[in-house]
Amino acid sequence: MIYAIRTLVGQEKNVARLLARNVKTSGIEVRSILVPETLKGYILVESDTKIDMQNPAFKVPHMKGAIEGEIPYDEIQTFLNPEPITASIKKGSIVELVSGPFKGEKAKVIRIDESKEDVVLELIEAAVPIPVTVKGDQIRLIQKEAD
Amino acid sequence: MVTKACTKCHRIMEEDRCAVCNIPTSKNWSGFLIVVDPENSNIAKDLHITLPGEYALRVR
Repeated sequence: MIYAIRTLVGQEKNVARLLARNVKTSGIEVRSILVPETLKGYILVESDTKIDMQNPAFKVPHMKGAIEGEIPYDEIQTFLNPEPITASIKKGSIVELVSGPFKGEKAKVIRIDESKEDVVLELIEAAVPIPVTVKGDQIRLIQKEAD
Repeated sequence: MVTKACTKCHRIMEEDRCAVCNIPTSKNWSGFLIVVDPENSNIAKDLHITLPGEYALRVR
């Protein structure tokens, strides 16, 4: 069974680490603690028994309480195998750079390296087309495919 | 302190080489999982984790 616990945003990993330490010393039946990157302010706890927030082991700083009810296992599987960022981007897509020296520039995708998650871009507004290689998380998709 | 993750077993550590797999670790990882009881955990079974510890969900 999976239960969700609300934490302060940005403190998810610290709460998970403290909770794991408490669990080991107190012997509560917690199997694992999951902190998905996309779910801000929550951690997911895998446990056979219902989470008892009155238990001193669950008194952890930055924890804001448990969510009532269980989460079906199917729903968390998307967190376990995150889709690569480059999956939604195709050759010819128009993207915007969100970080790095070309931040804010629009560019066209000319090649994608799936294994490294590298994307080779060509800046649209540049006078001379120069290929720029960036990481997949440095770009934001604007238009799926250029006309 | 920079935490790194093994590109093969996804275990989180501070060393430059994974102690289990003996391959270089990567600073670029995301997602965080603590396995307490790998034998009874469905998540650990799904991710083929057999040892307790801290793991990354995605490493590159």
